[in-house]
Amino acid sequence: MPGDLPLNGCDYLMLGFDHEMRRRGYAGNSCQIELELDSAISSDVLGKRIAELVTRHPILRARPGGWLMPKWKLPQENAPLPQVRVHREQSGLREKLCDEPLAPKRGELFRFDLVARDGGRMNVIFTWAHMLMDANSAEHFVALVGRDDVPLPALEQPVSTRPRKTFIERLKLARKSVLQFDEFVKAQPRTVGVRFPDAPKAQRFCVERFSAEETARVRANASKICGALGGAQFHAAAAMIELHQLQQRLGSPSQSYVLPVPVSLRAKGSVEPLFCNQVTMMMTQFLPQHLDTTAAAVAALKPQIAQAMRDGLIEAGVAIGEISRCLPLAPYLWILKSGLRGEICSFFYGDTAAVTPLLTSFCGANIHDFTHVGATTPSPGIGAIFYSFRGELRVTVFHLETHFSAAEAGSFAKGLRARLLNP
Amino acid sequence: MIEPLEIETKLLDFLKREVFAGNVVVTPETDLIASGFDSMSLVRVLLFIEQSYGFWIPEGEITGDALQNVRSLAATAARILNAR
Repeated sequence: MPGDLPLNGCDYLMLGFDHEMRRRGYAGNSCQIELELDSAISSDVLGKRIAELVTRHPILRARPGGWLMPKWKLPQENAPLPQVRVHREQSGLREKLCDEPLAPKRGELFRFDLVARDGGRMNVIFTWAHMLMDANSAEHFVALVGRDDVPLPALEQPVSTRPRKTFIERLKLARKSVLQFDEFVKAQPRTVGVRFPDAPKAQRFCVERFSAEETARVRANASKICGALGGAQFHAAAAMIELHQLQQRLGSPSQSYVLPVPVSLRAKGSVEPLFCNQVTMMMTQFLPQHLDTTAAAVAALKPQIAQAMRDGLIEAGVAIGEISRCLPLAPYLWILKSGLRGEICSFFYGDTAAVTPLLTSFCGANIHDFTHVGATTPSPGIGAIFYSFRGELRVTVFHLETHFSAAEAGSFAKGLRARLLNP
Repeated sequence: MIEPLEIETKLLDFLKREVFAGNVVVTPETDLIASGFDSMSLVRVLLFIEQSYGFWIPEGEITGDALQNVRSLAATAARILNAR
């Protein structure tokens, strides 16, 4: 249909997660970026800037639609603009904003909340539906909103620019992933989430901040154990050890842990296409014997990544996403979950590396601090996202309140911090 | 004996074609990491070397100095391949 845009496979996976979370009473697959500003900004100025961008990029208030081959249905000109809301800092507000769902099916794909703080400071909370874009895109989009000197994206290009494969080729690739799942199930993963019935639950998060000196120490540890450019693998390995220890403390250790490692499909040196997900998952597995030391966990992870790339499992992940677009959500989710008996992953992990250097100011105010907040599903109920802001490492640990207590999640975060500093 | 220049030429072609965006200028002296080269890019390069020369270079052998640019990466790969 003229004027509509296709969702790519990665977008559709995010739509599937959103659907699954809402069905179980969660806020949905929304992610957040929080900026701490040194001074307050005007909601009118921000609203005008958003209106300009929305006019130029209609996908920003499109809604997902279509039965077979889902697509973005572009909005009418009189569709409402994304919200900019102003609040006064108060107890419980941050938790409320964390759990308040967006309404993607009505075209609400993002919103901004401005929270005025004491001393004239202000926090900006950007909440977006994950089906619109991935975390790296979201950083760039926030920079685009907050600064008028950032070049606008040339085009909306929601479809991956990777070479297209035939349907049969995709089916063959997708089968590789299913066979990998079958291997994983030989040591059945079990998350804490299986203990809890479907019920509305709340997500909470905490941030571990590392000073410049501590960040240098973590990087030196990563380099020593993983070699050059091994930071992300080092972070993932440390997180999986801490997860195993947490589940042991809770009396529910698993026979194995499945970690989907995000892989960016963007050509290096480019942030475009901006308004779509360009991330696929490479599935890896850790057995308890891999999780005694960080070096052992890294030694288990590295060959899996190399073998997965050798076997074409990145392309397989893309193929699964593309095939899933042809299925209604319910059978797709059934297929996805049946392979691992519901345990799609043991831990949500993201590593967005350095926050874009464009984020120094927002609507004229200096950005003092930056936080990413991810989203987690009932299983596993816990995750972490690693990133660095102005050269300093940050780790946001997010968890579902009824799966883990604040003390349990806090002990995970502190353990992770200690392990990154002293592996 | 594998010449570093041979690897450099092949790597340049591979990086331009498979790793970097079209707008990124990739020369033998281009700073790889500053241009967006990451850990997954490194694994792809190592797989490319394995497919071309039949040998997997362990990632631990690739130091930060080797990743300065294509020339230093090619020189490191040639040294390791010739020493095996």
